[in-house]
Amino acid sequence: MNLWQAFKMAFKSIALKKTRSFLTMLGIIIGVASVVIMVSVMQGQAKKNLEYFEKMGENKINLYLYAWDGGESIQRVMDYCLSLNQYISGITPNAEINDTVTIQYGAKTIKTNDWDNINWDVPGVDPWSTMLHVYLGSEQYGVCNNYKLANGREMSYLEVEKTLPVCMLGAGAKEQLFGFTDPVGETITLNGDPFQVVGWYKKMDLVQMDNTIVIPHTFNRTMNNNYDMNQYVIKARDAQSTVKAMTLLTAYLNGMFPKDADGNRMNGNYDLGSDNSAAENQQKANLMQSLVMGAIAGISLLVGGIGIMNIMLVTVTERTREIGIRKAIGAERSSIITQFLIEAAVICSIGGLIGIGIGYVGTMIAGKLMSDVFEGIILMPEPFIAFGAFAFSVVLGVIFGMYPAIKASGLQPVVALRAD
Amino acid sequence: MLIEIQNLYKIYNEGKESEVRALDGVSLQIDKGEFVAIVGQSGSGKSTMMNVLGCLDIPTYGEYHLDGTDIGSLSDKQLARIRNREIGFIFQGYNLIQELDALENVTLPLIYRGVSVFDREDMAMEALAKVGMDDRAHHRPSEMSGGQQQRVAIARAIATAPPIIMADEPTGALDSKTGKHVLEILRDLYRGGTTILLITHDDGIAATARRVVRLSDGKIISDKQQEVDWE
Repeated sequence: MNLWQAFKMAFKSIALKKTRSFLTMLGIIIGVASVVIMVSVMQGQAKKNLEYFEKMGENKINLYLYAWDGGESIQRVMDYCLSLNQYISGITPNAEINDTVTIQYGAKTIKTNDWDNINWDVPGVDPWSTMLHVYLGSEQYGVCNNYKLANGREMSYLEVEKTLPVCMLGAGAKEQLFGFTDPVGETITLNGDPFQVVGWYKKMDLVQMDNTIVIPHTFNRTMNNNYDMNQYVIKARDAQSTVKAMTLLTAYLNGMFPKDADGNRMNGNYDLGSDNSAAENQQKANLMQSLVMGAIAGISLLVGGIGIMNIMLVTVTERTREIGIRKAIGAERSSIITQFLIEAAVICSIGGLIGIGIGYVGTMIAGKLMSDVFEGIILMPEPFIAFGAFAFSVVLGVIFGMYPAIKASGLQPVVALRAD
Repeated sequence: MLIEIQNLYKIYNEGKESEVRALDGVSLQIDKGEFVAIVGQSGSGKSTMMNVLGCLDIPTYGEYHLDGTDIGSLSDKQLARIRNREIGFIFQGYNLIQELDALENVTLPLIYRGVSVFDREDMAMEALAKVGMDDRAHHRPSEMSGGQQQRVAIARAIATAPPIIMADEPTGALDSKTGKHVLEILRDLYRGGTTILLITHDDGIAATARRVVRLSDGKIISDKQQEVDWE
């Protein structure tokens, strides 16, 4: 008997025993679909959790620095950082002007941090999402904070050094002041002083970072009452450099601010941290979650598998008789096993494909239902997962589908014929 | 000799208290073209005899030569070939596959034999025509009477034109009229040169055979040739 015959026999058998075929498929459909949906939702969530860190920019070191002698020590730290340029690609102060700043362009006037006059009760308007912030930064502010230029250029070193009135706009600030027109070259006023817009950044989808206006930090003296600037952002070249730079900086700063006998730091204080460690924690949390979801998915596959097994085993007796007949009229063992193998594989494959289809649709429905949680992320099952669940079910189905064939075809025909 | 068995034993639960000797040292020779009835009460071992002779079962002890071949030395695969090419079976319970129609059931042994697609349908139809069932080729077993099912089963047995036909109580489940018809078909096959082995408990049916072998408690108690009126 050739393979084509075996195929034809298998298909005939599937078509003739519809209930049995369907019940077998059902186990696989449920198993595959549930695994695909669960794993996809889980992966979507993990992706969402990491999204924040991706946008904020990886390999970013946050430095808090406070020195008794003011600028002198800080300048030394800055210089030290610049000397680490094999690990560090940029450094910038990151200080918000906390007093109210009046921003004007043409007829538009917007005030920052104007807490007394914010109307919290306008329905549908979240004051947080429209509030602008003015930051003091260096020419490397964009690089350090992972901004991408939309148009124009960054501030220059000389402009910062010489306290020239230039500014950068985040996408949100640009939209509020200029709408859809290009702001490059235009002049806005901050507290009445003119600042020329030299460039603006692409949308980050993080409200806090988009509603930003950056001016040279050298304006600290005139616009920020010469408050201490304590916050700095350092951008390392990669993850390894982050670790290296943090180690070197820690050693340098420990030397600069030694501890006295009581364990208190002298000359000032510092704090060093990187988002990488936060991202790593998140990744760990995601891994935990993956393991839990994986276990649940595994159990649902197992349940599906048991369903397949049951229906296959229930039909053993019926099939044993059939195998007895086939053997009595001259079927070889290999022909019978081939037929059953193909039959099981075909049933399981059809069931698996339907399961994947339902899994994809189910995933999209889940994504829609949970669109609040997954804003901006479209849930899509990974082909690898779908294929894995599919392969598992097919293997399981084939094993249990072949079980009666292997068992019964090894019997003497008369024994198989006697089964009932 | 076509069939030659020497000191054949089939023992169930050997050595235990419940030991059953279905065949207890049987020796028998059957020549080509014979029409032999194996007769006995139920439990006499006649069905076991057919199963062993038909290579559906293996004996516990003893030798079995079929057309000079030692059956005991054959592999599973070779036994399947013998069942397919040398022997046609007719069972009391028909043993048709319920999901397949008459033609498909008859085609099955031809498929296992490797007959080409183009020939086997013709061969199967021919076999069905021989038993007068060609007009029911596309009926399922459940849509046929017992006699019709048995005729389909006979068609399946003769489709590969085997030299031996073994029939285990072929008329057992049929009324006497259809039973006669089935026996008629067997006689026709005999006239065509096929060796027929008919297993029955019914002396009336055994009377149609040229040679009657009587079994009791797994042993042959008589073996005689007889004249038959239909010749």
